[in-house]
Amino acid sequence: MQVRSTDSHNWLTRLRRSDIPTALLFLLPSLVILGVFNFYPIAGVFRLSFFKWDNLSPAKTFIGLDNFIRLFQSERFWNSLKVTAEYTLVVTAVSLLLGLVLAVFLNNRMLLGKSFWRSMFFLPVVTPTVAAAMVWILLFNPGFGLVNVVLRALGLDGLNWLADKTWALPTVMSLGIWRRLGFTLILYLAALQSLSKEYYESAEIDGANALQRFLHITVPLLRSTTIMLIILGVIDSFLVFDQVMVLTRGGPDDATEVIGMFMYLNSFSLFKLGYGAAISVVMFVVVAVFTLMQWRFVGFGSAEEAE
Amino acid sequence: MNLLRRPGAEPVTPRKVRITLILALILIPAAFVVLVPYLWMFTTSLKVRGTTGLPPYLFPNVFEFGNYLKAWQAAPFLRYYLNTTIVAISIIASRVVLASLAAYAFAFLRFPGRNLLFLLFLGTMMIPFQATIIPSYLIIRDLQWFNTFQALIVPRMVDAFSIFLLRQAFISIPRDYLDAARLDGCSHWQALWKVVVPLNSSSVVTMGLFAFLFAWNDYLWPLLVANSEQMRTIQLGLQVFAGRYQTEWTYMMAGTVTATLLPLILFLAAQRSFISGLTRSGLKG
Repeated sequence: MQVRSTDSHNWLTRLRRSDIPTALLFLLPSLVILGVFNFYPIAGVFRLSFFKWDNLSPAKTFIGLDNFIRLFQSERFWNSLKVTAEYTLVVTAVSLLLGLVLAVFLNNRMLLGKSFWRSMFFLPVVTPTVAAAMVWILLFNPGFGLVNVVLRALGLDGLNWLADKTWALPTVMSLGIWRRLGFTLILYLAALQSLSKEYYESAEIDGANALQRFLHITVPLLRSTTIMLIILGVIDSFLVFDQVMVLTRGGPDDATEVIGMFMYLNSFSLFKLGYGAAISVVMFVVVAVFTLMQWRFVGFGSAEEAE
Repeated sequence: MNLLRRPGAEPVTPRKVRITLILALILIPAAFVVLVPYLWMFTTSLKVRGTTGLPPYLFPNVFEFGNYLKAWQAAPFLRYYLNTTIVAISIIASRVVLASLAAYAFAFLRFPGRNLLFLLFLGTMMIPFQATIIPSYLIIRDLQWFNTFQALIVPRMVDAFSIFLLRQAFISIPRDYLDAARLDGCSHWQALWKVVVPLNSSSVVTMGLFAFLFAWNDYLWPLLVANSEQMRTIQLGLQVFAGRYQTEWTYMMAGTVTATLLPLILFLAAQRSFISGLTRSGLKG
Protein backbone atom coordinates (compact mmCIF):
# COMPACT_ATOMS: atom_id res chain seq x y z
CA MET A 1 0.00 0.00 0.00
CA GLN A 2 1.08 3.52 -0.72
CA VAL A 3 1.87 6.03 1.92
CA ARG A 4 -1.01 8.43 2.57
CA SER A 5 -0.46 11.63 0.68
CA THR A 6 -0.99 15.07 2.10
CA ASP A 7 -4.49 16.44 2.44
CA SER A 8 -4.24 18.81 -0.49
CA HIS A 9 -2.78 16.16 -2.75
CA ASN A 10 -5.53 13.83 -1.68
CA TRP A 11 -8.14 16.44 -2.54
CA LEU A 12 -6.62 17.03 -5.97
CA THR A 13 -6.46 13.34 -6.76
CA ARG A 14 -10.05 12.87 -5.69
CA LEU A 15 -11.11 15.73 -7.92
CA ARG A 16 -9.11 14.33 -10.81
CA ARG A 17 -10.57 10.88 -10.30
CA SER A 18 -14.08 12.24 -9.91
CA ASP A 19 -16.30 13.03 -12.88
CA ILE A 20 -16.38 16.76 -12.19
CA PRO A 21 -13.69 17.92 -14.65
CA THR A 22 -15.09 15.73 -17.43
CA ALA A 23 -18.64 16.86 -16.74
CA LEU A 24 -17.56 20.47 -16.85
CA LEU A 25 -15.78 19.94 -20.15
CA PHE A 26 -18.70 18.06 -21.69
CA LEU A 27 -21.29 20.59 -20.58
CA LEU A 28 -19.35 23.77 -21.22
CA PRO A 29 -20.22 24.25 -24.92
CA SER A 30 -23.94 23.67 -24.28
CA LEU A 31 -23.85 25.97 -21.27
CA VAL A 32 -22.29 28.73 -23.34
CA ILE A 33 -24.77 28.44 -26.22
CA LEU A 34 -27.87 28.10 -24.03
CA GLY A 35 -26.55 30.81 -21.73
CA VAL A 36 -25.95 33.36 -24.47
CA PHE A 37 -29.04 32.60 -26.58
CA ASN A 38 -31.58 31.45 -23.98
CA PHE A 39 -30.85 32.45 -20.39
CA TYR A 40 -29.36 35.85 -21.10
CA PRO A 41 -32.10 36.85 -23.61
CA ILE A 42 -34.97 35.81 -21.33
CA ALA A 43 -33.49 37.94 -18.56
CA GLY A 44 -32.81 40.67 -21.10
CA VAL A 45 -36.36 40.77 -22.39
CA PHE A 46 -37.74 41.34 -18.89
CA ARG A 47 -35.23 44.12 -18.35
CA LEU A 48 -35.94 45.71 -21.73
CA SER A 49 -39.68 45.69 -21.08
CA PHE A 50 -39.14 48.41 -18.44
CA PHE A 51 -37.54 50.75 -20.96
CA LYS A 52 -38.73 53.01 -23.70
CA TRP A 53 -36.44 52.42 -26.63
CA ASP A 54 -37.43 53.37 -30.15
CA ASN A 55 -35.67 52.88 -33.46
CA LEU A 56 -32.51 51.41 -31.94
CA SER A 57 -31.27 54.89 -31.08
CA PRO A 58 -28.81 54.97 -28.16
CA ALA A 59 -31.32 56.67 -25.85
CA LYS A 60 -33.02 54.16 -23.58
CA THR A 61 -35.30 55.56 -20.90
CA PHE A 62 -36.43 53.66 -17.84
CA ILE A 63 -40.21 53.97 -17.62
CA GLY A 64 -41.11 51.28 -15.09
CA LEU A 65 -44.33 49.51 -15.93
CA ASP A 66 -45.50 52.05 -18.53
CA ASN A 67 -45.08 49.61 -21.42
CA PHE A 68 -47.36 47.12 -19.71
CA ILE A 69 -49.89 49.78 -18.78
CA ARG A 70 -50.02 51.03 -22.35
CA LEU A 71 -50.23 47.44 -23.56
CA PHE A 72 -53.17 46.56 -21.36
CA GLN A 73 -54.92 49.75 -22.42
CA SER A 74 -54.35 49.06 -26.09
CA GLU A 75 -57.40 47.81 -27.98
CA ARG A 76 -55.14 46.35 -30.60
CA PHE A 77 -53.43 44.17 -27.98
CA TRP A 78 -56.75 42.79 -26.73
CA ASN A 79 -57.82 42.24 -30.32
CA SER A 80 -54.62 40.24 -30.95
CA LEU A 81 -55.31 38.14 -27.85
CA LYS A 82 -58.88 37.52 -29.02
CA VAL A 83 -57.74 36.52 -32.53
CA THR A 84 -55.05 34.26 -31.07
CA ALA A 85 -57.55 32.67 -28.69
CA GLU A 86 -60.00 31.98 -31.52
CA TYR A 87 -57.27 30.55 -33.71
CA THR A 88 -55.95 28.41 -30.85
CA LEU A 89 -59.36 27.10 -29.86
CA VAL A 90 -60.46 26.13 -33.35
CA VAL A 91 -57.15 24.69 -34.58
CA THR A 92 -56.56 22.69 -31.40
CA ALA A 93 -60.11 21.36 -31.12
CA VAL A 94 -60.60 20.44 -34.77
CA SER A 95 -57.19 18.83 -35.22
CA LEU A 96 -57.70 16.87 -32.00
CA LEU A 97 -61.11 15.57 -33.00
CA LEU A 98 -60.20 14.70 -36.59
CA GLY A 99 -56.90 13.21 -35.45
CA LEU A 100 -58.63 10.94 -32.95
CA VAL A 101 -61.26 9.71 -35.41
CA LEU A 102 -58.67 9.06 -38.13
CA ALA A 103 -56.37 7.33 -35.63
CA VAL A 104 -59.17 4.94 -34.69
CA PHE A 105 -59.72 4.05 -38.34
CA LEU A 106 -55.99 3.68 -38.95
CA ASN A 107 -55.69 1.43 -35.93
CA ASN A 108 -58.14 -1.08 -37.42
CA ARG A 109 -56.60 -4.47 -38.01
CA MET A 110 -58.26 -4.95 -41.32
CA LEU A 111 -56.78 -1.80 -42.80
CA LEU A 112 -54.37 -2.50 -45.62
CA GLY A 113 -51.17 -0.46 -45.87
CA LYS A 114 -51.29 1.17 -42.46
CA SER A 115 -47.88 2.86 -42.69
CA PHE A 116 -48.77 4.24 -46.11
CA TRP A 117 -51.85 6.00 -44.75
CA ARG A 118 -49.96 7.20 -41.72
CA SER A 119 -47.27 8.79 -43.90
CA MET A 120 -49.83 10.48 -46.15
CA PHE A 121 -51.60 12.17 -43.27
CA PHE A 122 -48.28 13.14 -41.73
CA LEU A 123 -46.80 14.86 -44.81
CA PRO A 124 -48.19 18.34 -43.96
CA VAL A 125 -46.33 18.29 -40.63
CA VAL A 126 -42.96 18.17 -42.42
CA THR A 127 -44.00 20.56 -45.19
CA PRO A 128 -42.42 24.01 -44.80
CA THR A 129 -45.02 26.50 -43.56
CA VAL A 130 -43.99 29.20 -46.01
CA ALA A 131 -44.31 26.83 -48.97
CA ALA A 132 -47.68 25.57 -47.73
CA ALA A 133 -48.87 29.15 -47.34
CA MET A 134 -47.95 29.82 -51.00
CA VAL A 135 -50.18 26.94 -52.03
CA TRP A 136 -52.94 28.25 -49.75
CA ILE A 137 -52.78 31.66 -51.49
CA LEU A 138 -53.34 29.85 -54.77
CA LEU A 139 -56.05 27.49 -53.46
CA PHE A 140 -58.03 30.40 -52.03
CA ASN A 141 -57.47 32.75 -54.96
CA PRO A 142 -60.81 34.49 -55.60
CA GLY A 143 -60.65 33.98 -59.38
CA PHE A 144 -59.33 30.53 -60.20
CA GLY A 145 -58.49 29.08 -56.78
CA LEU A 146 -59.64 25.49 -56.40
CA VAL A 147 -61.91 26.33 -53.47
CA ASN A 148 -63.95 28.86 -55.42
CA VAL A 149 -63.95 26.66 -58.53
CA VAL A 150 -65.56 23.89 -56.50
CA LEU A 151 -68.01 26.28 -54.84
CA ARG A 152 -69.08 27.68 -58.21
CA ALA A 153 -69.56 24.20 -59.55
CA LEU A 154 -71.94 23.64 -56.64
CA GLY A 155 -73.80 26.81 -57.60
CA LEU A 156 -72.42 28.94 -54.77
CA ASP A 157 -70.65 32.27 -54.95
CA GLY A 158 -66.94 32.19 -54.24
CA LEU A 159 -65.32 34.60 -51.81
CA ASN A 160 -62.18 36.66 -51.71
CA TRP A 161 -61.12 34.58 -48.73
CA LEU A 162 -57.93 36.20 -47.53
CA ALA A 163 -59.21 39.75 -48.07
CA ASP A 164 -62.51 39.16 -46.30
CA LYS A 165 -62.66 40.36 -42.71
CA THR A 166 -64.88 37.48 -41.63
CA TRP A 167 -63.25 34.69 -43.63
CA ALA A 168 -59.55 35.54 -43.52
CA LEU A 169 -59.08 34.04 -40.05
CA PRO A 170 -60.88 30.76 -40.85
CA THR A 171 -58.71 30.49 -43.97
CA VAL A 172 -55.56 30.87 -41.88
CA MET A 173 -57.04 28.35 -39.40
CA SER A 174 -57.57 25.81 -42.18
CA LEU A 175 -53.83 25.85 -42.88
CA GLY A 176 -53.13 25.45 -39.17
CA ILE A 177 -55.45 22.45 -38.92
CA TRP A 178 -53.98 20.88 -42.05
CA ARG A 179 -50.50 21.14 -40.55
CA ARG A 180 -51.51 19.98 -37.06
CA LEU A 181 -53.72 17.01 -37.96
CA GLY A 182 -50.90 14.56 -38.72
CA PHE A 183 -49.26 15.25 -35.39
CA THR A 184 -52.34 14.50 -33.28
CA LEU A 185 -53.09 11.48 -35.47
CA ILE A 186 -49.63 9.99 -34.91
CA LEU A 187 -49.68 10.48 -31.15
CA TYR A 188 -53.22 9.11 -30.81
CA LEU A 189 -52.28 6.13 -32.96
CA ALA A 190 -49.27 5.38 -30.79
CA ALA A 191 -51.45 5.61 -27.68
CA LEU A 192 -54.11 3.35 -29.20
CA GLN A 193 -51.53 0.74 -30.09
CA SER A 194 -50.38 0.59 -26.49
CA LEU A 195 -53.88 -0.04 -25.08
CA SER A 196 -54.58 -3.50 -23.74
CA LYS A 197 -57.08 -5.57 -25.70
CA GLU A 198 -58.60 -6.95 -22.53
CA TYR A 199 -60.69 -3.85 -22.00
CA TYR A 200 -62.37 -4.43 -25.33
CA GLU A 201 -62.84 -8.14 -24.91
CA SER A 202 -64.81 -7.73 -21.72
CA ALA A 203 -66.84 -4.93 -23.28
CA GLU A 204 -67.69 -7.15 -26.21
CA ILE A 205 -68.90 -9.82 -23.85
CA ASP A 206 -71.10 -7.18 -22.25
CA GLY A 207 -72.52 -6.51 -25.68
CA ALA A 208 -71.23 -2.96 -26.19
CA ASN A 209 -71.37 -1.80 -29.80
CA ALA A 210 -68.55 -0.04 -31.64
CA LEU A 211 -69.68 3.50 -30.82
CA GLN A 212 -70.25 2.64 -27.14
CA ARG A 213 -66.82 1.06 -26.94
CA PHE A 214 -65.27 4.15 -28.54
CA LEU A 215 -67.00 6.56 -26.15
CA HIS A 216 -66.80 4.55 -22.95
CA ILE A 217 -63.46 2.79 -23.33
CA THR A 218 -61.22 4.40 -25.92
CA VAL A 219 -61.86 8.05 -25.10
CA PRO A 220 -61.37 7.70 -21.31
CA LEU A 221 -58.26 5.55 -21.77
CA LEU A 222 -56.74 8.20 -24.01
CA ARG A 223 -57.30 10.91 -21.43
CA SER A 224 -53.66 11.65 -20.66
CA THR A 225 -52.75 11.72 -24.36
CA THR A 226 -55.64 14.11 -24.97
CA ILE A 227 -54.61 16.46 -22.17
CA MET A 228 -51.04 16.46 -23.40
CA LEU A 229 -52.15 17.14 -26.99
CA ILE A 230 -54.43 19.97 -25.88
CA ILE A 231 -51.65 21.70 -23.99
CA LEU A 232 -49.04 21.14 -26.71
CA GLY A 233 -51.60 22.36 -29.25
CA VAL A 234 -52.39 25.47 -27.25
CA ILE A 235 -48.71 26.35 -26.93
CA ASP A 236 -48.08 25.72 -30.63
CA SER A 237 -51.12 27.71 -31.81
CA PHE A 238 -50.56 30.54 -29.39
CA LEU A 239 -47.17 31.18 -31.00
CA VAL A 240 -48.42 30.99 -34.61
CA PHE A 241 -46.58 33.41 -36.86
CA ASP A 242 -45.18 32.11 -40.17
CA GLN A 243 -48.45 31.41 -41.95
CA VAL A 244 -50.03 34.68 -40.80
CA MET A 245 -46.99 36.61 -41.99
CA VAL A 246 -47.11 35.02 -45.45
CA LEU A 247 -50.89 34.85 -45.92
CA THR A 248 -52.21 38.13 -44.52
CA ARG A 249 -49.58 40.02 -42.47
CA GLY A 250 -52.35 40.35 -39.91
CA GLY A 251 -54.89 41.90 -42.27
CA PRO A 252 -57.44 42.76 -43.53
CA ASP A 253 -57.42 45.55 -40.92
CA ASP A 254 -56.37 43.45 -37.96
CA ALA A 255 -58.71 40.51 -38.50
CA THR A 256 -55.87 37.95 -38.40
CA GLU A 257 -53.40 39.87 -36.24
CA VAL A 258 -52.34 37.17 -33.80
CA ILE A 259 -50.14 38.14 -30.87
CA GLY A 260 -46.97 36.89 -32.58
CA MET A 261 -47.73 39.19 -35.52
CA PHE A 262 -48.52 42.07 -33.15
CA MET A 263 -45.17 41.56 -31.44
CA TYR A 264 -43.31 41.38 -34.74
CA LEU A 265 -44.92 44.54 -36.14
CA ASN A 266 -44.17 46.57 -33.02
CA SER A 267 -40.63 45.27 -32.60
CA PHE A 268 -39.33 44.96 -36.14
CA SER A 269 -41.51 47.23 -38.29
CA LEU A 270 -41.94 50.10 -35.86
CA PHE A 271 -38.80 49.22 -33.85
CA LYS A 272 -40.51 49.96 -30.54
CA LEU A 273 -38.25 47.49 -28.80
CA GLY A 274 -39.24 48.20 -25.21
CA TYR A 275 -42.91 47.84 -26.05
CA GLY A 276 -42.18 44.74 -28.13
CA ALA A 277 -40.30 43.27 -25.19
CA ALA A 278 -43.37 43.79 -22.99
CA ILE A 279 -45.43 41.79 -25.52
CA SER A 280 -42.71 39.12 -25.48
CA VAL A 281 -42.97 38.93 -21.70
CA VAL A 282 -46.74 38.38 -21.94
CA MET A 283 -46.17 35.59 -24.49
CA PHE A 284 -43.56 34.01 -22.26
CA VAL A 285 -45.82 34.07 -19.21
CA VAL A 286 -48.74 32.47 -21.08
CA VAL A 287 -46.57 29.71 -22.54
CA ALA A 288 -44.81 29.09 -19.23
CA VAL A 289 -48.14 28.76 -17.42
CA PHE A 290 -49.40 26.23 -19.95
CA THR A 291 -46.15 24.27 -19.80
CA LEU A 292 -46.31 24.08 -16.01
CA MET A 293 -49.98 23.11 -16.29
CA GLN A 294 -48.99 20.30 -18.64
CA TRP A 295 -46.53 18.92 -16.09
CA ARG A 296 -49.10 19.10 -13.29
CA PHE A 297 -52.05 17.84 -15.30
CA VAL A 298 -50.25 14.93 -16.87
CA GLY A 299 -49.06 13.98 -13.41
CA PHE A 300 -52.58 14.08 -11.99
CA GLY A 301 -53.99 12.28 -14.99
CA SER A 302 -51.69 9.29 -14.73
CA ALA A 303 -52.19 9.10 -10.95
CA GLU A 304 -55.95 8.87 -11.38
CA GLU A 305 -55.69 6.35 -14.15
CA ALA A 306 -53.49 4.14 -12.03
CA GLU A 307 -56.35 3.57 -9.59
CA MET B 1 -58.87 -3.43 -33.34
CA ASN B 2 -61.06 -1.54 -30.99
CA LEU B 3 -63.94 -0.32 -33.10
CA LEU B 4 -64.51 -3.65 -34.72
CA ARG B 5 -64.38 -7.29 -33.78
CA ARG B 6 -60.95 -8.85 -34.07
CA PRO B 7 -60.90 -11.45 -36.78
CA GLY B 8 -58.13 -13.67 -35.46
CA ALA B 9 -56.75 -15.99 -38.13
CA GLU B 10 -60.10 -16.68 -39.74
CA PRO B 11 -60.31 -16.96 -43.52
CA VAL B 12 -61.58 -14.05 -45.56
CA THR B 13 -65.23 -13.53 -44.75
CA PRO B 14 -67.77 -11.22 -46.34
CA ARG B 15 -67.71 -9.27 -43.11
CA LYS B 16 -63.98 -8.64 -43.37
CA VAL B 17 -64.28 -7.59 -46.98
CA ARG B 18 -67.07 -5.22 -46.03
CA ILE B 19 -65.03 -3.62 -43.24
CA THR B 20 -61.99 -3.20 -45.48
CA LEU B 21 -64.19 -1.52 -48.08
CA ILE B 22 -65.81 0.80 -45.54
CA LEU B 23 -62.38 1.83 -44.25
CA ALA B 24 -61.20 2.58 -47.77
CA LEU B 25 -64.36 4.60 -48.44
CA ILE B 26 -63.66 6.75 -45.39
CA LEU B 27 -59.89 7.09 -45.70
CA ILE B 28 -59.52 7.69 -49.43
CA PRO B 29 -61.57 10.93 -49.44
CA ALA B 30 -59.91 12.07 -46.20
CA ALA B 31 -56.43 11.51 -47.61
CA PHE B 32 -57.50 13.18 -50.84
CA VAL B 33 -58.45 16.37 -49.01
CA VAL B 34 -55.13 16.35 -47.16
CA LEU B 35 -53.11 15.72 -50.33
CA VAL B 36 -54.96 17.95 -52.77
CA PRO B 37 -52.78 21.00 -52.00
CA TYR B 38 -49.72 19.04 -53.17
CA LEU B 39 -51.49 17.96 -56.34
CA TRP B 40 -52.71 21.48 -57.07
CA MET B 41 -49.20 22.86 -56.49
CA PHE B 42 -47.63 20.29 -58.77
CA THR B 43 -50.23 20.59 -61.53
CA THR B 44 -50.03 24.38 -61.53
CA SER B 45 -46.24 24.28 -61.68
CA LEU B 46 -46.50 22.40 -64.98
CA LYS B 47 -49.12 24.54 -66.68
CA VAL B 48 -48.40 26.78 -69.64
CA ARG B 49 -47.93 30.38 -68.51
CA GLY B 50 -51.18 32.33 -68.54
CA THR B 51 -53.47 29.30 -68.55
CA THR B 52 -53.71 29.08 -64.76
CA GLY B 53 -57.28 30.34 -64.88
CA LEU B 54 -59.37 28.22 -67.15
CA PRO B 55 -60.46 25.58 -67.49
CA PRO B 56 -59.54 24.17 -64.07
CA TYR B 57 -58.17 20.64 -63.87
CA LEU B 58 -56.64 18.65 -61.07
CA PHE B 59 -54.20 16.25 -62.70
CA PRO B 60 -51.40 17.53 -64.92
CA ASN B 61 -52.05 17.00 -68.64
CA VAL B 62 -49.39 19.37 -69.95
CA PHE B 63 -45.87 19.19 -68.68
CA GLU B 64 -44.20 22.56 -69.01
CA PHE B 65 -40.96 21.74 -67.19
CA GLY B 66 -39.56 24.99 -68.54
CA ASN B 67 -41.34 26.74 -65.66
CA TYR B 68 -38.76 25.34 -63.28
CA LEU B 69 -35.95 26.68 -65.42
CA LYS B 70 -37.65 30.09 -65.51
CA ALA B 71 -38.16 30.14 -61.77
CA TRP B 72 -34.55 29.16 -61.18
CA GLN B 73 -33.38 31.89 -63.54
CA ALA B 74 -35.63 34.53 -62.00
CA ALA B 75 -34.36 33.93 -58.46
CA PRO B 76 -31.07 32.42 -57.23
CA PHE B 77 -32.68 29.24 -55.92
CA LEU B 78 -29.37 27.45 -56.24
CA ARG B 79 -27.86 29.98 -53.88
CA TYR B 80 -30.81 29.54 -51.46
CA TYR B 81 -30.34 25.78 -51.58
CA LEU B 82 -26.63 26.08 -50.93
CA ASN B 83 -27.11 28.50 -48.02
CA THR B 84 -29.76 26.30 -46.44
CA THR B 85 -27.61 23.20 -46.86
CA ILE B 86 -24.61 24.86 -45.24
CA VAL B 87 -26.74 26.00 -42.31
CA ALA B 88 -28.55 22.67 -41.94
CA ILE B 89 -25.38 20.55 -42.04
CA SER B 90 -23.59 22.82 -39.58
CA ILE B 91 -26.51 22.70 -37.15
CA ILE B 92 -26.84 18.92 -37.43
CA ALA B 93 -23.11 18.34 -36.96
CA SER B 94 -22.81 20.62 -33.97
CA ARG B 95 -25.94 19.22 -32.33
CA VAL B 96 -24.72 15.66 -32.74
CA VAL B 97 -21.46 16.55 -31.00
CA LEU B 98 -22.62 19.03 -28.36
CA ALA B 99 -25.92 17.37 -27.45
CA SER B 100 -24.20 13.96 -27.20
CA LEU B 101 -21.59 15.39 -24.85
CA ALA B 102 -24.17 17.06 -22.63
CA ALA B 103 -26.48 14.03 -22.70
CA TYR B 104 -23.57 11.79 -21.67
CA ALA B 105 -22.74 14.06 -18.76
CA PHE B 106 -26.36 14.08 -17.58
CA ALA B 107 -26.78 10.34 -18.07
CA PHE B 108 -23.55 8.88 -16.68
CA LEU B 109 -21.36 11.38 -14.86
CA ARG B 110 -21.66 12.22 -11.18
CA PHE B 111 -21.25 15.84 -10.24
CA PRO B 112 -22.90 18.17 -7.76
CA GLY B 113 -25.96 20.04 -9.05
CA ARG B 114 -26.60 17.59 -11.87
CA ASN B 115 -30.36 17.42 -11.45
CA LEU B 116 -30.68 21.14 -10.94
CA LEU B 117 -28.70 21.88 -14.09
CA PHE B 118 -30.73 19.35 -16.07
CA LEU B 119 -33.95 20.99 -14.91
CA LEU B 120 -32.56 24.37 -15.87
CA PHE B 121 -31.78 23.04 -19.36
CA LEU B 122 -35.27 21.54 -19.64
CA GLY B 123 -36.68 24.86 -18.53
CA THR B 124 -35.49 26.46 -21.76
CA MET B 125 -38.03 24.31 -23.60
CA MET B 126 -40.80 26.42 -22.12
CA ILE B 127 -39.25 29.65 -23.35
CA PRO B 128 -40.86 30.41 -26.71
CA PHE B 129 -38.53 31.69 -29.39
CA GLN B 130 -40.57 34.87 -29.69
CA ALA B 131 -39.86 35.68 -26.04
CA THR B 132 -36.10 35.85 -26.57
CA ILE B 133 -36.04 37.16 -30.12
CA ILE B 134 -35.43 40.86 -29.39
CA PRO B 135 -32.37 40.35 -27.13
CA SER B 136 -31.05 37.66 -29.51
CA TYR B 137 -31.45 40.09 -32.40
CA LEU B 138 -29.54 42.73 -30.43
CA ILE B 139 -26.72 40.26 -29.67
CA ILE B 140 -26.35 39.53 -33.37
CA ARG B 141 -26.36 43.27 -34.07
CA ASP B 142 -23.69 43.96 -31.45
CA LEU B 143 -21.52 41.15 -32.81
CA GLN B 144 -22.04 42.65 -36.29
CA TRP B 145 -23.20 39.26 -37.54
CA PHE B 146 -26.06 40.44 -39.76
CA ASN B 147 -26.05 38.55 -43.06
CA THR B 148 -23.48 35.98 -41.98
CA PHE B 149 -23.67 32.23 -41.58
CA GLN B 150 -22.70 32.57 -37.91
CA ALA B 151 -25.95 34.40 -37.24
CA LEU B 152 -27.94 31.49 -38.64
CA ILE B 153 -25.83 28.72 -37.11
CA VAL B 154 -24.33 29.69 -33.73
CA PRO B 155 -27.58 30.35 -31.79
CA ARG B 156 -28.88 26.97 -32.95
CA MET B 157 -25.75 24.90 -32.31
CA VAL B 158 -27.40 23.05 -29.45
CA ASP B 159 -30.87 22.98 -27.89
CA ALA B 160 -32.44 21.46 -24.81
CA PHE B 161 -34.76 19.21 -26.81
CA SER B 162 -31.85 17.41 -28.52
CA ILE B 163 -30.04 16.96 -25.21
CA PHE B 164 -33.24 15.64 -23.62
CA LEU B 165 -33.92 13.24 -26.50
CA LEU B 166 -30.40 11.80 -26.38
CA ARG B 167 -30.24 11.63 -22.59
CA GLN B 168 -33.47 9.62 -22.46
CA ALA B 169 -31.99 7.23 -25.03
CA PHE B 170 -28.59 7.01 -23.32
CA ILE B 171 -29.94 6.05 -19.88
CA SER B 172 -31.80 3.10 -21.40
CA ILE B 173 -28.66 1.22 -22.51
CA PRO B 174 -27.39 -1.46 -20.12
CA ARG B 175 -24.92 0.05 -17.69
CA ASP B 176 -22.64 -3.02 -18.08
CA TYR B 177 -21.61 -1.98 -21.59
CA LEU B 178 -20.33 1.31 -20.33
CA ASP B 179 -18.60 -0.21 -17.29
CA ALA B 180 -16.88 -2.79 -19.47
CA ALA B 181 -15.59 -0.09 -21.79
CA ARG B 182 -14.35 1.94 -18.84
CA LEU B 183 -12.59 -1.10 -17.33
CA ASP B 184 -10.87 -1.66 -20.66
CA GLY B 185 -9.31 1.74 -20.19
CA CYS B 186 -11.60 3.85 -22.38
CA SER B 187 -11.81 7.50 -21.42
CA HIS B 188 -15.27 9.04 -21.15
CA TRP B 189 -14.71 10.62 -24.54
CA GLN B 190 -13.93 7.23 -26.11
CA ALA B 191 -16.79 5.53 -24.27
CA LEU B 192 -19.19 8.12 -25.65
CA TRP B 193 -18.15 7.81 -29.29
CA LYS B 194 -17.23 4.13 -29.39
CA VAL B 195 -19.97 2.64 -27.21
CA VAL B 196 -22.82 4.97 -26.28
CA VAL B 197 -23.42 6.78 -29.57
CA PRO B 198 -23.16 3.66 -31.78
CA LEU B 199 -25.63 1.88 -29.49
CA ASN B 200 -28.04 4.81 -29.84
CA SER B 201 -27.46 5.57 -33.50
CA SER B 202 -31.18 5.57 -34.28
CA SER B 203 -31.86 8.28 -31.70
CA VAL B 204 -28.96 10.32 -33.01
CA VAL B 205 -30.33 9.99 -36.55
CA THR B 206 -33.79 11.04 -35.36
CA MET B 207 -32.33 14.07 -33.66
CA GLY B 208 -30.44 14.93 -36.85
CA LEU B 209 -33.67 14.66 -38.88
CA PHE B 210 -35.47 17.05 -36.56
CA ALA B 211 -32.53 19.45 -36.83
CA PHE B 212 -32.63 19.26 -40.62
CA LEU B 213 -36.35 19.97 -40.83
CA PHE B 214 -35.96 22.81 -38.38
CA ALA B 215 -33.20 24.41 -40.44
CA TRP B 216 -34.99 23.85 -43.75
CA ASN B 217 -38.33 25.24 -42.60
CA ASP B 218 -36.98 28.09 -40.50
CA TYR B 219 -38.34 31.50 -41.45
CA LEU B 220 -38.61 34.19 -38.77
CA TRP B 221 -35.00 34.17 -37.58
CA PRO B 222 -33.44 34.29 -41.08
CA LEU B 223 -35.95 37.02 -41.96
CA LEU B 224 -34.53 39.17 -39.17
CA VAL B 225 -30.80 38.48 -39.34
CA ALA B 226 -29.96 37.28 -42.87
CA ASN B 227 -32.24 38.84 -45.45
CA SER B 228 -29.71 39.83 -48.10
CA GLU B 229 -29.99 38.19 -51.52
CA GLN B 230 -26.65 36.40 -50.99
CA MET B 231 -27.58 34.98 -47.59
CA ARG B 232 -31.23 34.02 -47.90
CA THR B 233 -32.25 30.52 -46.96
CA ILE B 234 -34.82 28.65 -48.99
CA GLN B 235 -38.11 29.61 -47.29
CA LEU B 236 -37.15 33.27 -47.13
CA GLY B 237 -36.01 33.18 -50.74
CA LEU B 238 -39.30 31.60 -51.77
CA GLN B 239 -41.29 34.34 -50.08
CA VAL B 240 -39.27 37.13 -51.68
CA PHE B 241 -39.57 35.42 -55.06
CA ALA B 242 -43.34 35.10 -54.63
CA GLY B 243 -43.61 38.76 -53.71
CA ARG B 244 -41.85 39.71 -56.94
CA TYR B 245 -43.79 37.36 -59.24
CA GLN B 246 -47.15 37.55 -57.55
CA THR B 247 -49.28 36.83 -60.60
CA GLU B 248 -46.93 34.39 -62.29
CA TRP B 249 -48.55 31.37 -60.68
CA THR B 250 -46.78 28.75 -62.74
CA TYR B 251 -43.32 30.04 -61.81
CA MET B 252 -44.37 30.60 -58.24
CA MET B 253 -45.56 27.02 -57.85
CA ALA B 254 -42.40 25.73 -59.57
CA GLY B 255 -40.44 27.61 -56.91
CA THR B 256 -42.69 26.24 -54.17
CA VAL B 257 -42.19 22.66 -55.36
CA THR B 258 -38.46 23.36 -55.29
CA ALA B 259 -38.65 24.51 -51.68
CA THR B 260 -40.88 21.63 -50.55
CA LEU B 261 -39.53 18.52 -52.21
CA LEU B 262 -36.43 17.76 -50.14
CA PRO B 263 -38.04 17.56 -46.69
CA LEU B 264 -40.88 15.45 -48.07
CA ILE B 265 -38.50 12.97 -49.72
CA LEU B 266 -36.34 12.81 -46.62
CA PHE B 267 -39.36 12.17 -44.42
CA LEU B 268 -40.69 9.41 -46.67
CA ALA B 269 -37.26 7.79 -46.75
CA ALA B 270 -36.83 7.91 -42.98
CA GLN B 271 -40.43 7.96 -41.78
CA ARG B 272 -40.11 5.01 -39.43
CA SER B 273 -37.33 6.49 -37.31
CA PHE B 274 -38.92 9.91 -37.59
CA ILE B 275 -42.32 8.87 -36.30
CA SER B 276 -40.97 6.64 -33.55
CA GLY B 277 -38.74 9.49 -32.38
CA LEU B 278 -41.69 11.85 -32.38
CA THR B 279 -44.00 9.59 -30.41
CA ARG B 280 -41.31 8.70 -27.89
CA SER B 281 -40.32 12.29 -27.21
CA GLY B 282 -43.85 13.61 -27.52
CA LEU B 283 -45.28 11.17 -25.01
CA LYS B 284 -42.57 11.91 -22.52
CA GLY B 285 -42.27 15.63 -23.16
